[in-house]
Amino acid sequence: MSEKNKKVRVFAAIDVGSFEMGLKIFEISQKNGIKCINSVKHRLALGNDSYVRKKISYEKMEELFNTVNKFKEIMREYEVSDYKAYGTSALRETENTAIILEQIRSRTGIEVEVLSNSEQRFLDYKAIAAKGKLFDKIIEKSTAIVDIGGGSIQISLFDKDRLVQTQALKLGVLRLHERMQEIRPRSTQTEELLDEMIGSQIRTFHKVFLKDRDVKNLIIMDEYLSPRFHQIVDGVSAEGSISAAGFMSFADGLLTRRDEEIENAMELPEEKIALFRLSTAIIKRVAENFEVDTIWATGAELCDGIAYEYAEKKKLTKIAHDFEDDILDSAQMVAKRYQSSTKHAEAVEKAALSIFDGMKSVHGMGRRERLLLRLAAILQDCGKFINMTNVGECSFAIIANTEIIGLSHNERIIVASVVKYNHGPFEYYPGMSGRIGVDRRSYLTIAKLTAILQLANALDKGKGEKIKKVDAALEKDELRIYVDAKKDILYEQERFDKRSGFFEEVYGVHPKLYRMKNK
Amino acid sequence: MDYHKDEYFTNRERSWLRFNERCLSEARDESIPLFERLKFLSITASNLDEFLMVRIASLKDMVHAGYKKTDIAGMKADEQLALLYPAMHEFVAMQYECYNNLADAACGVGMAMLEHHEELTTKQAEFVDRYFEDNVYPVLTPMAVDSSRPFPLIKNKSLNIGALLARKEGTGLEAYGIAKSYSKAILSGVDVTDDVEKKKKKKQMDFAIVQVPSGLPRIVELPANKEGCKYIIRLEEIIERNISKLFLNYTVVCASPFRIMRNADLDIEEEEAEDLLMEIEKQIKRRQWGEVIRLETEKGIDKKLLDILKKELRVTGDDIYEIEGPLDLTFLMKVYGMEGFDEFKNKGNTPSDVPEIPAGSDIFEDIRKGDILLHHPYQSFEPVVRFVRSAAVDPDVLAIKQTLYRVSGNSPIVKALAQAAENGKQVTVLVELKARFDEENNIVWARMLEKAGCHVIYGLVGLKTHCKICLVVRREEDGIRRYVHLATGNYNDSTAKLYTDFGLFTCAEPVGEDATAVFNMLSGYSEPLSWNRLAVAPLWLKKRILKLIKRETENARAGRSCGIKAKMNSLCDPDVIAALYEASSAGVPIKLLVRGICCLKVGIPEVSENIKVYSIVGDYLEHGRAFVFDNDCDPEVYLASADWMPRNLERRVEIMFPVDDHRLKERVMRILDEQFEDNVKKHELMPDDRYVKALAPEDSRYCCQMDFVKQAKEYAKSSSVSKTAGRRFIPIESSERKANDNEE
Repeated sequence: MSEKNKKVRVFAAIDVGSFEMGLKIFEISQKNGIKCINSVKHRLALGNDSYVRKKISYEKMEELFNTVNKFKEIMREYEVSDYKAYGTSALRETENTAIILEQIRSRTGIEVEVLSNSEQRFLDYKAIAAKGKLFDKIIEKSTAIVDIGGGSIQISLFDKDRLVQTQALKLGVLRLHERMQEIRPRSTQTEELLDEMIGSQIRTFHKVFLKDRDVKNLIIMDEYLSPRFHQIVDGVSAEGSISAAGFMSFADGLLTRRDEEIENAMELPEEKIALFRLSTAIIKRVAENFEVDTIWATGAELCDGIAYEYAEKKKLTKIAHDFEDDILDSAQMVAKRYQSSTKHAEAVEKAALSIFDGMKSVHGMGRRERLLLRLAAILQDCGKFINMTNVGECSFAIIANTEIIGLSHNERIIVASVVKYNHGPFEYYPGMSGRIGVDRRSYLTIAKLTAILQLANALDKGKGEKIKKVDAALEKDELRIYVDAKKDILYEQERFDKRSGFFEEVYGVHPKLYRMKNK
Repeated sequence: MDYHKDEYFTNRERSWLRFNERCLSEARDESIPLFERLKFLSITASNLDEFLMVRIASLKDMVHAGYKKTDIAGMKADEQLALLYPAMHEFVAMQYECYNNLADAACGVGMAMLEHHEELTTKQAEFVDRYFEDNVYPVLTPMAVDSSRPFPLIKNKSLNIGALLARKEGTGLEAYGIAKSYSKAILSGVDVTDDVEKKKKKKQMDFAIVQVPSGLPRIVELPANKEGCKYIIRLEEIIERNISKLFLNYTVVCASPFRIMRNADLDIEEEEAEDLLMEIEKQIKRRQWGEVIRLETEKGIDKKLLDILKKELRVTGDDIYEIEGPLDLTFLMKVYGMEGFDEFKNKGNTPSDVPEIPAGSDIFEDIRKGDILLHHPYQSFEPVVRFVRSAAVDPDVLAIKQTLYRVSGNSPIVKALAQAAENGKQVTVLVELKARFDEENNIVWARMLEKAGCHVIYGLVGLKTHCKICLVVRREEDGIRRYVHLATGNYNDSTAKLYTDFGLFTCAEPVGEDATAVFNMLSGYSEPLSWNRLAVAPLWLKKRILKLIKRETENARAGRSCGIKAKMNSLCDPDVIAALYEASSAGVPIKLLVRGICCLKVGIPEVSENIKVYSIVGDYLEHGRAFVFDNDCDPEVYLASADWMPRNLERRVEIMFPVDDHRLKERVMRILDEQFEDNVKKHELMPDDRYVKALAPEDSRYCCQMDFVKQAKEYAKSSSVSKTAGRRFIPIESSERKANDNEE
């Protein structure tokens, strides 16, 4: 490679999916943005094994290794400088995920990470949002995204441009296909069966989350229909949209056709037809139930999201959309659902961030941990909705079991733990790791964030928002926290002093409260 | 309306024979230089050999297997054979009538091709005998036949001499290792007289075979006995004259050359063939020993000798060709190649330079300036070789991917690919091992490339990879850029001088993306979800062609402008033909240039009245595939590696690619129009399936191939490339010629 080309970064994204393995090679540059230059897919239905047997067969593992090695050849061909390889639900649902990942590493040299459902969906969502202006235009009106995977589907709701809800439903096409094959319905029973399998869950989602929300746009993301929306569906606009009526007419026509007819008309490979049909059936039911006006397909895939995330991290591209806001919005929606105190949460968040920023030179944590701290502050008393005397445990249970798009399972456990230990005694590593399985690094993050959140929480213990402003500055071994409070803060001072012990234990820094006039 | 009726189609084999008749008509055309006519005659012979080995063999297989399915014209295999046998015999008779005329004419211009060794002068005979002893005798292996030595396996296409031998009295044959009396069983059918002595003698006759060595030249030049005249004799005549020297204790009763043709149809059980390479090698060996489907003998061969051959080779009736002249006329190509006689040959044409790619330029930069169309053999194939060579040494090139179907004996492309791999480039080459009759050659290249470090893909199970595509991935300042060469003809620098083909260089991103997807697919990855610009067989191409034809039909029905002009080697896909019939019925004017097989019938009332079919058989083999669709005055122009045949559209990986550049589009359309204007080499298909060549008066003759030679020369001379369409050049004479149907 000649010197002149260093402005362009070549990146590879690998998706070890439940139906197919995919590799995309991207060129990323400030000038041209993210450009896919090669894309290959290899059909390997890992999900067929893992969903049913919870293990992946030896033959499929061998095929997986061979495919990854072939992917490596292509990566070498393009002189790829960085890569990211992710496994999704098929790897997630095996019993021996860690062993599989280690085998892949030792046989191919490629490190594969397994995405939690919410991480995967977040990347999918990033892939869509990376479309930039088009995405912004779509979400101007209330919008839903239905992201159809092999194991599950994810429905996310936007209100104006805010992500307000996201929920996974175990309705992935491979999963449904497996079930259909077990049941073997007659052709006349298929529609009814699909309605029972899909429709009932969609209706429940509607009842719980959609309520009377008016959804205008539906963005679809799947491996079968959306990448070839233009070719297959008549009347799709240049931007990739079609009216709901137009789509229904297509879907109804398709769902009554025989496989051979679909194969000929759509030029689809035979093995994909059943999944294509199921994907269309899901979209149809969501669109009908939500009564959307327009259906959009951007053709984005997980690999596009992986590339976007990489470019974003490396600051190689302009940010198309503020995804951190989506995560915060999502957390706020959870807080709202459990009737958390918004003002108290805001006060705690503000104080926590001041302390976090003031301790920057000591704690060694970054932007991501700062986000986790904000989430913990937002969700810090959601458990009260269940039981006011056991807020910590109840909050933990809620957070650990609630989809927050963009967070990994581990991050969710960190947030949940920080909230829990904010309310109760801290548990040291042996006990904590034995109970919730966190590693040492996560344990330390929990400890550090808990120490900060406890202090911040103490500053608004009376929930009277007495403190208007908080500044924190490190002076030798002392963290000086300056607060601007017009009212008496005796109660807060007492709680602060009580919590400062743990803070000191964690950081080796003594926190001290100063009123602004003392500064 | 049903456009698929049997009576709307011509049997494809009969149509192929018509093509060979058109080649023969060139050999018979007195307006063509004599030696060019000899060459055409030779080509008809090799064409017929292949036809027999592949097509007739296949029909015979079907008959043996009791296969009842009918062909495009509704004929069963036995019905087809019944149609073809008389036509082939008639054709062979025409060939030899032509040969005898040409031999006389050649003698008249100083090339005496001696028919028999009896015609040798004493001096020539001495020369021949010495030649035999020095060169031929040491490599001959006479094979005797008796009860302990079975009838030898005679190689496919080999020329042999069969002899009946009578034992000389008082000699001990076994001492010489020569056969005992040929078995009574074999001779029992021989017509013998009542004369006891004669019967005794005949019973003592032995049968032996001598293979004419294929390693020695088929023709031998003799000392001239007349100034200014060359004399040649065929090797089998030299052997026949000296055959008694092989059987010292025998009297040679009679000796006669014969030649056999075997079933060579490849039928690989690919699903079971774990190693395709090994399977192909096995098949090649097997091909030597397939069923005999033709026995050629000289007319007047001894009846007893013929009976033995018939019995042992298990051939009967229609499979036996008694030839009035020398067997295997392919030796005429050697005669053509002899020095001298230039006034009886066409002047050689050196393909012209391509001005868009000047000598010494950076070919990648040239391509970046715009798409470049090459028209071979009028324009040089050198840029294609340079493309691969440049890629091999360019430090910014990351990868080269190429398909190879048939390559030349010492292919510079193969060398460049090997060099690229040695230089550390990622080189992926799909070598199609199943390219009929080139399998052995391709295995050698494949191994050589693999050794050099290329990633070699040995074809695809169940499909032949016939597309011609080369992709160069290059890293440039703005990122990856893909350079693609797509062609209608093979990456073969030798045939590129003889076959008319199109090639297109482009670095258009949509084509580059598709090219990448083609190689991903050939490497075993899933097919792409959609294509930008290419249409690829076997999954998408046929549908695309049918859609394009249908669009013209709809345009015609709606009163919009419409029309189809297409050029290909063969047209025999029933669905495409039916679509053309429908288009014709709707009023679409259709002009087709089909060099070889055409199963479409013209002039069927209300079905094909708007279709004209022509065939050009000229100095160069018409090989390019080009399709023009009027599209309501917004023409779409495509080039392709595929003919409109089921095998191309359904069982091969083929590519049809659009010509998007406005100038190049115009150029292809103009080339096609000029081909339709030809009135020298163009034959027109008639409703009775015959082809008619209506020669124009001398002063208005227009030969498109000659014109293209001239145009290319003028174009190469132009210092700056004209960007204007519609440019025309003045015709000059054509040069090299060749027509041959063994290419696909």
